[in-house]
Amino acid sequence: MNSSRLITLFTILTALALVLAACPAPAAMPAADADSSAATDDGMAGEFKVGLVTDVGRVNDRSFNQSAWEGVVAAAEGLGLAEDDFKYIETQDAKDYADNIQQFIDADYNVIVSVGFALADATNTAAKDNPDVFFIGIDQFQGETLPNVAGLIFNEDHSGYLAGVLAGSLSQSGTIAAVLGTDLVPPVVAFNEGYIAGAKSVNPDINVISTYHPGEISQAFVDPEWGAATAKQALDQGADVIFGAGGITGNGALQEIATAEGAGETVFCIGVDTDQWNTVPAAHPCLVSSAMKLITPGVVDLVNLASEGAFPGGNYFGDADLAPFHDFDDMVPQELKDLLEETKAGLIDGSIDTGYGN
Amino acid sequence: MSAIAKLSTTSRMSRRAAISLVLALALVAMAVLVNKTPLGEHTWLRVLFGISALNFTLRATVPLVLGALSGILCERSGIINIGIEGMMLAGAFAGFVAKTSTNHWPLTVSLIFSVAVAVAVGGLMGAVHALFSIRFRMDQIISGTVIIILALGASSYLYNRDAIAEGKFSSIPVPGLSQIDVIGPVLFDNPPITYLALILVLVVHVALFYTRWGLRTRAVGEHPRAADSVGINVNRYRYVNTSLGGMLAGLAGAFLVLEAVGQFQEGMTAGRGFISLAAMIFGNWNPFGALGAAALFGYTQALQNELLLAGVTQVPRQFISMLPYVVTIVAVSGLVGRVRPPAAEGKVYETEGSA
Repeated sequence: MNSSRLITLFTILTALALVLAACPAPAAMPAADADSSAATDDGMAGEFKVGLVTDVGRVNDRSFNQSAWEGVVAAAEGLGLAEDDFKYIETQDAKDYADNIQQFIDADYNVIVSVGFALADATNTAAKDNPDVFFIGIDQFQGETLPNVAGLIFNEDHSGYLAGVLAGSLSQSGTIAAVLGTDLVPPVVAFNEGYIAGAKSVNPDINVISTYHPGEISQAFVDPEWGAATAKQALDQGADVIFGAGGITGNGALQEIATAEGAGETVFCIGVDTDQWNTVPAAHPCLVSSAMKLITPGVVDLVNLASEGAFPGGNYFGDADLAPFHDFDDMVPQELKDLLEETKAGLIDGSIDTGYGN
Repeated sequence: MSAIAKLSTTSRMSRRAAISLVLALALVAMAVLVNKTPLGEHTWLRVLFGISALNFTLRATVPLVLGALSGILCERSGIINIGIEGMMLAGAFAGFVAKTSTNHWPLTVSLIFSVAVAVAVGGLMGAVHALFSIRFRMDQIISGTVIIILALGASSYLYNRDAIAEGKFSSIPVPGLSQIDVIGPVLFDNPPITYLALILVLVVHVALFYTRWGLRTRAVGEHPRAADSVGINVNRYRYVNTSLGGMLAGLAGAFLVLEAVGQFQEGMTAGRGFISLAAMIFGNWNPFGALGAAALFGYTQALQNELLLAGVTQVPRQFISMLPYVVTIVAVSGLVGRVRPPAAEGKVYETEGSA
């Protein structure tokens, strides 16, 4: 009888199923050029050292982690730091945030950048214990001001407003749409309110149909199927410019519009957070621009301020801007480019009010 | 035996079928009226019958109806398949892996290849389920659960977040037919898997009720001993049908990755396999019944989104979000009336004399 062998096989399969299911999804493969020990084994003790702790994921994630690291690299080169004096640690698991930050502290780093809202607690705890080290927390809103922590945050309504001006100007149909993550997250609401205000500023009669994901916060940013279906729905209702703002959910919307009839000719899409030309190549046929949070220059500024001893504790507002138009550069008329520049200046000097938070 | 079974099924179905047909015709009539006449100026009517609502319905229906057909194929032959969710997810993941590794191929070739891989892996999962259920006489509910856990675990473990699938199916308008008002843009301007799913409903219906294979399948599911006594290899039918069912579930997964989204997401089937099961039961293990049930569930999702998009109600969003689930519960518990699963479902069949 070979049935006992088969039963063994079956048992192994079942056990394998359970084991695999129990495995946490690995955050990332260990990077070839850096690992957790990278921070501690540097030989040269420099004058000024900058470390970066990523949120779960890789440093080349074409998103927040990468933008922040590019800021560190640019600042370090500007300051003429040695190769060994700026390093990153890729967080593999959310429970390692504090340990990863501690590694940099133990190695006498002067500035530690922590990327993402999720690291806020670990960052502030470490900051209280180490008043001599400067911390830059990206997307970390500071409720209380610590002198050695700067939360790099953004006026999402400003970049939403710029996206709205662009969408309102490009639209031929008079209907534009936004496919959004949840309204339980304030920055998403800010993007949307700014978007609507911006579109109305160029065309007061414009019809803006915008939808938030109906589900919980845990699904709202990781439901590309809903994003795609909703984008199609908006197209069916006559929208010809669609703003996808909601992580992977928004990416689903961008990819849907890219395959729609007239993509890039009569129908356009706008991405969010980073330049999505780089993050969602499948969206190239329709992606005019993205409403960005400029993390890289924000990090450069803060690192420089720290090196000059003029570190600003509390919330530090980074700039909001639109991403380059890439292949659509010729399709965007010069007047519109000028209008966007004026609008951006107006938002920065406060002469234009997006209406968000009033 | 089979003639009687068939007769009783059809007579029970006829009233249902008539009601469904009337409802479907009424829906089409309303859709034409709303989209073509001044009736469309009423926001509420547009929310209920607008082209965007109908398109959304079809799109939400496709994975559900494929899942339900998968269930029908398995259960008609007597194998309970609650693992549809897992087979779908395995298909979706396999399709994604195939797509990302063939990104450099011409788009259409790469997409078709990926669909084939998704279907094959779905079929493989079906075969594993059959092996557990038949060879090892395992409880079929448990085997189905193992399939789900295996697919979920393996796909999240192996998923590489850096991988990007480039491109997905775009819609192919059917020449001529797509020009028809209202019906054209809804039914005849879709991507390929959507057409395929609708055709498969008809194919499975014909195969089940009008071919020798279908007759034998139903006999195996209703009374395997009788089938065996006339020389039908019961377990061979069960192996084949469960594998075919797995292939359909794999196709549903391919739809999600290669047609609906263009990207994989951990756990992206998000309970669609289970809703498919509800659609299968609500449709009384009949392909067209399943299509009707899947369309109803799809329609509630469309309605949910239309209400949110139109902003016509002050009802809190959370209540609107409940709509699809409430309708599912009401449909399965109350509205459904009397349904009858295949008699031998879930029972291990052993030939007489075998130990």
